[in-house]
Amino acid sequence: MKDDAKSGLATPLIVSRRKLRVLGTSITLLDPVRDRARADLGFDIAFEKMDFLTCQRQAAMAPESYDIYEQCFHNLDIVWFWGALQPIDIGRVPEWDNISDLVKLGGVSKYAGRGRGDAPAKKLYVQPGGFLGPKQSRHISMLPTVHNMDSFGYDARVFGAGPDVRPSWGWLLDRRAKGRIALVDEPAIGFFDAALAAEATGEIEFADIGNMTIEEINALMALLEERRTEGYFCATWRDGVEAADLAERGAVAIQSMWSPVYGKLRKARPHFVESAPSEGYRAWHGGASLSRHLRGAELDMAYEYLNWWLSGYAGAVMARQGYYISNPQRAREWLAPEEWAYWYEGAAASRDLAGPDGEVAVKTGERRAGGPYIDRARRIVIWNTVMDEYNYAARAWDRFVRRVNAGVAA
Amino acid sequence: MIRSVNPLAQEPRYELIGRVLRENILSGVLPRGFVLLEGPIAAVMQTSRVPVQTALRQLLDEGLINRFDGRGYLVGKGGGDVIPIRRDIRELELEIPHAVDQALQTRGTWRHVYDKVEEEVASCQIFGEFRIVETELADHLGVSRTVVRDVLARLQERGLVRKSPSSHWIAGPLTARTVSEKFELRGIMEPAALRLAAQHIRYAEVEALLDRIGTDPGITPQYLGDALLELCIAQAPNAALVEMIRSNRLLLSSVDRALILLGLPRDEDTIEQYQTLLDLITHHPIDSACEYLRYHLSITARRYLARMKIVAVIDETGSFAPYLSPQ
Repeated sequence: MKDDAKSGLATPLIVSRRKLRVLGTSITLLDPVRDRARADLGFDIAFEKMDFLTCQRQAAMAPESYDIYEQCFHNLDIVWFWGALQPIDIGRVPEWDNISDLVKLGGVSKYAGRGRGDAPAKKLYVQPGGFLGPKQSRHISMLPTVHNMDSFGYDARVFGAGPDVRPSWGWLLDRRAKGRIALVDEPAIGFFDAALAAEATGEIEFADIGNMTIEEINALMALLEERRTEGYFCATWRDGVEAADLAERGAVAIQSMWSPVYGKLRKARPHFVESAPSEGYRAWHGGASLSRHLRGAELDMAYEYLNWWLSGYAGAVMARQGYYISNPQRAREWLAPEEWAYWYEGAAASRDLAGPDGEVAVKTGERRAGGPYIDRARRIVIWNTVMDEYNYAARAWDRFVRRVNAGVAA
Repeated sequence: MIRSVNPLAQEPRYELIGRVLRENILSGVLPRGFVLLEGPIAAVMQTSRVPVQTALRQLLDEGLINRFDGRGYLVGKGGGDVIPIRRDIRELELEIPHAVDQALQTRGTWRHVYDKVEEEVASCQIFGEFRIVETELADHLGVSRTVVRDVLARLQERGLVRKSPSSHWIAGPLTARTVSEKFELRGIMEPAALRLAAQHIRYAEVEALLDRIGTDPGITPQYLGDALLELCIAQAPNAALVEMIRSNRLLLSSVDRALILLGLPRDEDTIEQYQTLLDLITHHPIDSACEYLRYHLSITARRYLARMKIVAVIDETGSFAPYLSPQ
């Protein structure tokens, strides 16, 4: 890279303040993580937390404003190609060999389904010409850390409870929930919740749901617009606090959901439940990347932080909010056996389990929907994705979201 | 790109018209009481009426002309004693300074406004589909509808606008598919043209260019790309094919310029890639150069598609000109 001279001048200043700036989302930027990392690493760490889209824009356009970028793999199609990041040398990541095949190969085992769209493996390795791809190389775009298989949450009083209930993504367009449906406002995420729903109801069939054509995008948006004018949707949300609020207020009978939100529910807890959709999961994989400006001592600090992320503690914190880590065995060292059994093995909770903030997130006897990690990971049908026509889809999605939130009738 | 050199050419058209009228009033060529009408002034100045209206309002504010009980304006102060002089302004020997005349002449053609419109129309397409109303564009630019039609015809040639079945001018949306198709065409036509050109390539000039790589700072990837087209591909003895190649590239290059203006990082082929290609052309069987060109284009296409995704972070608020109506 070109600005060696510039960083040569800046280095002494940065060494004296010894502060690492992390830009990311509420997924990973948790206080217990930061506090522990500060104590373990001996330098200051500042977290800047934003919603997905704002975060992505800042990461792409202002790489000087952060050192580490914690986001998702699908988002690399934007930020990597803006030239905002620099490759990570896996030779400097001792835990690399323990990182799971879900990210390296695209599935938890050779025979597990791969899922459509941006499987992290497709964005992992830096290829000749600066592209990202699955062919192994010494350099990666993002260090894989936290991930999950997402679904929707629903009101069991509306859709029924018990072993005979077969939750379907199609419920997100179901008449029973009319006027009480919410979607997550992120065009690489909520867009696919809607697409899975449209396919589940049989209204649209996509040739490749992970890379739609303009006609398919138009068809999906037309369907959503039709349902919107009929009054199906009550809201969209961008973070877990908003999602929890919608469920607590009873505003929604069904909505896109993120795992940590279930642990935060109080009033809605008895009836608002996590689904294991019969069609399979929409998955995502997060990680941490290096800003392009890092050099010398700053870069060393950044690598220390990346390696700390895989040393177990952070993985344990993530587990307590329902997220998996790319090297689970290290996280296991930091989890109580009951916690491991509940979060990773799908066992019933043998006692109340605390979330990352210390509050009870899981009650004794509860069991996670979808079962053990391996079972859930085998049922990934789509990854959060930035499709070829992303710009077109994102702008159409944005217009839809604005109309939902403005409550425009027609 | 067409840029004019006359400094007055950058001045708003109404300023130029106002300048001419003001000077002719002060010099007495336009006598007190002369009735100024928009239509004939527009005809003399070879413009639409819109800038004439603006110029007249300005002169009214300056007190040089006045309203009266009839159509148009009277030169000089109003009052009962003034008898309106109704004559065609075209019969007067108006003094029009040469530079102003030239600027107005340039204004009268599509060239003066084209670059700006092309830039705005190319960049709006990433935000979706837009309609362009001829009269709104004419008002915005302060030119006649004839000029606007010339501009739109050229935009149509470049594939930047099209006519809808109901005869509306439509721009966009620019999709990944449009870009893929353009590159697919490039991959078919350009290697084919290079093969046909084998006997006609200006080898001596290519050799001279290769010698300058590494020592001459003027040799940029862009420069080499142009040289590849002009010295090699465009030498194919098939004018229709060369014309298709050129026009197929127009949309891509307009959009690329627009993306850079919107703040996207510049994307450039490397000098090394062109060096390899030009070296293959001059020193090896043409087949190998054709294969490499095909490969080079596939890489360029991938990069272009990657750029099409990253534009999604650009906020559309205030990003398009007022004559573009989102559909």
